[in-house]
Amino acid sequence: MANVFAIIVFAFLGGSGRYLVGQALPATSGFPWATILINLIGSGLLAWLSHAKRLTAQWPEAVTVGLGVGGVGAFTTFSTFSVDAVRLMSEQRWLAAISYVLITVIGGMICSALGVWIARRWWTFHLEEE
Amino acid sequence: MAAVAGLGATVGALGRYGMTRLVQSYHGNRWPLATLLINWLGCLLLGFLTGWQATNLTAVLLGTGVLGGFTTYSTFSHEVIMLADQRRYGAMTLYLLLSVGGGLILAAGGGWLGWIFH
Repeated sequence: MANVFAIIVFAFLGGSGRYLVGQALPATSGFPWATILINLIGSGLLAWLSHAKRLTAQWPEAVTVGLGVGGVGAFTTFSTFSVDAVRLMSEQRWLAAISYVLITVIGGMICSALGVWIARRWWTFHLEEE
Repeated sequence: MAAVAGLGATVGALGRYGMTRLVQSYHGNRWPLATLLINWLGCLLLGFLTGWQATNLTAVLLGTGVLGGFTTYSTFSHEVIMLADQRRYGAMTLYLLLSVGGGLILAAGGGWLGWIFH
């Protein structure tokens, strides 16, 4: 039940945050920079959060679930990414569509890998400490 | 309007949480089937909503809010990296191609359906 409550609180923040970033960064000639930024930052944050055990062990599990599933999970979006890519294709802007997909997919993987690496390097338990 | 998106996102995120637990109770979590199904369904429905040309309030509540909060990019990206971390490159490639390719096809198909029903 604590998990559900935490997800509600953080998802509200994540969802409104995504809306506000979209308003602050309007698409320049239809290229969705806001969604790229949101998905890349969110990918890095979720990966880091999932492995920063030395930090997350200090607070209730519901906070970690709320932040990950609710906050970052609702901040990032797969559906808007796909629909925007299809829109670029339907406008026959192939280069923009391909760049959008590649930047999001490859950039997201790089940010996730960085998040995991940083958390494992500085925020995880090491054998000698356990 | 930001609060409308936030409100929708709480419903979407809870739906994702519930569906993830449901799918994992049948399928386990060795392969990220739950996120794949969630993102596929979300792409189809958001495509439909876009093709149907929903009004601004409906688009923000259901599109930006519910479906934006239901689908997730961060979990997808993290799961891809974890499959690579486990050196399961075949599973990683399959998951990546099914998610992105399937998402695009379903978003396009949903848009077409929405346009027909408009």
